[in-house]
Amino acid sequence: MSAAVNRLDGGEVSAETAPPVYLPSQLDQLERYRQWATTPLKVDPVLSVVIPAYNETQRILPTIGAVVSHVCSLEPSWELIISDDGSSDGTRRIVRELGLVNLKVIETPTNTGKGGAVRRGVQAARGEFILFADADQATPIEQLELLLGPVKTGEADIAVGSRRAGGADVRGRSLGRRILSDGLRRLVKLGFGLSHGDTQCGFKLFSRDAAERLFAVQRIDGFSFDLELLYIASRLGLRVVDVPVRWFDSPGSTVNGGRDTLLFLVDLGRIRLNEALGRYRDPGHCRRNREGT
Amino acid sequence: MHLEIQSERNGSGGSVVVAGRFDAHESEPVLTSLTALLADGVLTIGLDLSRVDFIDSTGLAVLTRVMKRARESGGDLVLVAPSTPVRVILELTALDKAFVVSEVGPDIAVGH
Ligand SMILES: Nc1nc2c(ncn2[C@@H]2O[C@H](COP(=O)(O)OP(=O)(O)OP(=O)(O)O)[C@@H](O)[C@H]2O)c(=O)[nH]1
Ligand SMILES: [Mg+2]
Repeated sequence: MSAAVNRLDGGEVSAETAPPVYLPSQLDQLERYRQWATTPLKVDPVLSVVIPAYNETQRILPTIGAVVSHVCSLEPSWELIISDDGSSDGTRRIVRELGLVNLKVIETPTNTGKGGAVRRGVQAARGEFILFADADQATPIEQLELLLGPVKTGEADIAVGSRRAGGADVRGRSLGRRILSDGLRRLVKLGFGLSHGDTQCGFKLFSRDAAERLFAVQRIDGFSFDLELLYIASRLGLRVVDVPVRWFDSPGSTVNGGRDTLLFLVDLGRIRLNEALGRYRDPGHCRRNREGT
Repeated sequence: MHLEIQSERNGSGGSVVVAGRFDAHESEPVLTSLTALLADGVLTIGLDLSRVDFIDSTGLAVLTRVMKRARESGGDLVLVAPSTPVRVILELTALDKAFVVSEVGPDIAVGH
């Protein structure tokens, strides 16, 4: 039995008798976090992390905790954007009350769907690189570096987390969900010529330029916005890289298999229609055309 | 496995080490091993969180429940050397004030 274990016997340890003694590396990490939490950035950040949130009072605080402790140790110049999607459960309030100075809360009066929340968040972001990530830490934030690498080096404009690319590790996904996503993937490949293993993963990173061009024309507010983004990206000739990620299905998921599959199919049709109506033309391209005439 | 759990009893104290992702999928086994110690007459448990990389609200609920139960019988659930993310999560949820956090604790090695 060790001395350390002895100290715990009989409940003698209390907050007063045991002041925190941190490991040096941890002290450094905590110090970076406290600095970030209290000192507003003076220039535009290198990185923006956008988290869409709809009725997330249960999941958002642990996720923010994991994200801030990790990202602060990686890149001091960054901002966190929580894009609240018309939540009715007080999500906005609990996030604002944290009082973290480089955390911005974006609000909207009514619920629009994940696509709308991501778009508003990304359009408010000032970073050179912009990541969006789900509120449930389904893709642990430690994998940010995997996506940031290829975009930072200029090898890609967009890096998408993929639960299908070789090396991805998916835990806790039900058989039903897997069959469903397999079917949808085949359809996407046939209908759109997109061969991404996984279009829907809530973990995608963009260069600032790619984000501006994509979100200027992207219009789907629901869950199929991911597919729309990738489709527009291929139309604009942006380079997309699939990055295998570890993924944990969370029991709090709000996705409803039957209803959401139907909505997804309707959205596939809408993407086709928008395309036919010329709505996905590069805004830069339109401007140049107009200037020319 | 997402989470590894090791538990050990030392007289009236117990020590438990968990490592990995402490989320809704894992809260049940942690609850089971902690309550088993309490049921066995252990008063104070040191729970080593130094290698936990994420704890969600279900994990936090387990900690709170076990802490309350331990205090009812005159003991406690002491959080030992939490990792940086766990510390920050405890702070943001204001649970850092509810728990006793200690830097020293059980020295059980968790195998891989
Ligand atoms: N369900 C839902 N989520 C929204 C909405 N607006 C924003 N979100 C956010 O979008 C993210 C995705 O939500 P999840 O419920 O985890 O759905 P998912 O990740 O697609 O599904 P899983 O793979 O089962 O986890 C979360 O961060 C939500 O808070 C909305 O209107 N509905
Ligand atoms: Mg999710």
